[in-house]
Amino acid sequence: MMLLAKAALGVSGALVAVGAYTFHEGVIRVDVDEFRAGGSHVHLWVPAAAVPMTMHFVPKHHLCDAASHAREFLPVAHALFQELKNFPDAEFVEVKDGEQHVQIRTHEGKLQIDVDDPDEKVHVMVPLSTVDDVVGQLEGSAPGV
Amino acid sequence: MSSFHRSLFAKGLTTKAALMTAAALLFLPARGLAQTSTQTSNAQAKPAPSTSSASEKGERWLHVRVICTDGKGDTVRVNVPLELAEKVLPAVNHDRLHNGKVRIDSSDINDVDLHALMEAIRSAKDGEYVTVQGNDNDVRVAKEGNQLMIHVVDKSGSKKSQVEVKVPMKVVEALLSAGKDELDLVAALHALGAQGDVELVSVKDSENTVKVWLDSKNVAD
Repeated sequence: MMLLAKAALGVSGALVAVGAYTFHEGVIRVDVDEFRAGGSHVHLWVPAAAVPMTMHFVPKHHLCDAASHAREFLPVAHALFQELKNFPDAEFVEVKDGEQHVQIRTHEGKLQIDVDDPDEKVHVMVPLSTVDDVVGQLEGSAPGV
Repeated sequence: MSSFHRSLFAKGLTTKAALMTAAALLFLPARGLAQTSTQTSNAQAKPAPSTSSASEKGERWLHVRVICTDGKGDTVRVNVPLELAEKVLPAVNHDRLHNGKVRIDSSDINDVDLHALMEAIRSAKDGEYVTVQGNDNDVRVAKEGNQLMIHVVDKSGSKKSQVEVKVPMKVVEALLSAGKDELDLVAALHALGAQGDVELVSVKDSENTVKVWLDSKNVAD
C-alpha cells in the first residue's frame, strides 16, 4: 500500500512538473469558424512552451530557408515584439467596416488578433514571448549568422 | 496507543496529506488553463486596456482616427506608443527609409533648401506668412506660439474639404536635424514625445473625418 502511494506521489509530482513547465508560458489559441456550407471550424490550443522547443527539431535547412525569405522583416519583427512586451494591455488597431470588425491588441502579455465577419470569425492569441522566441530562433538560423 | 502505532498512524497521515497535495497540484495547471480560457472569452468580449497606467508611466501615444461619415459608421483607429515607434523605426530598412531617416531627393522639393527655409521661419516672429484666397482653395500658413499651422480649405469640387495641420516647431527642427538630404523621423518622434497633448492633423470633408493627435492615453476617444 505504501509502495503504491509512493509511486502515485512520484507520478503525480512528475505530472505536476511537466504540466507546470508546459503551461507556464500560456497557451497559443487559434479559432477559425467559416459560416458557409463545408466551411472549416478549427479550434487549436497549443502550449506556448512547446513551439520554441519543437523548432529545435525542425531540420536546419528548412529554418535557414524560412529565415532567408523573411530576412528583411526579421529585425523589424524582433524590435516590434521586444517592444510590445512593454505594452501588455493595449489596443493598437481597430477597424470597423460595415459588419466586419478587426482588432489587434495585446492582453495580459499576449498578442490578440480578432476578426469578426458575417462569413467567418478568426481569433488568434499568442504569447508575445513565444513570438519573440520564434523570431529570435529564425534570426539565429539566417544564412551568414 | 503505543509509540509504534502512533508512528504508523502519523506516517499514514503524512502519506495521505502528500497524496492530497499532489492531487491538488496536479489540477492546478488545468485550473489555470480554465482561467486563461475564461479570461480569453472575456477579453474577446471586452478589451481592458488600462488607461491610468499609461498616463502614470508617462507613455505618449500617437492616435489616428478615421471616421467615414456616410452613415455606416465605418471607423479605423490606430494607437501607437511613441516609444515603440522610436525603437522599431530604426530597424526598418526599405527604399528611402534607413536607420529611422528618410532620404529626400532635392528634385522632389523643387530644389528648395529646407534648412534655410526652416531657419528663416524659426527666427521669424509669430504671424501669418502665407494667405491665399482663390476660387478653388484657401491656404493659410502661420506661426503661432512655436507651432507651425497650415490651414487649407478646398472649394474646388462639389464637396468642400478642410485640412488643418499643426506641427510644433521643435518637431520640425528635429525632423531637419539629420542633414541636408535627410529627414530624421526618430528625432522628430522623440521631440514629439516631449510635447503636451496636441492635435496634429484634422481633415474634414463630406465623406471622412481624419484626426491625428498625441496624448497619454492608450486608447482612442
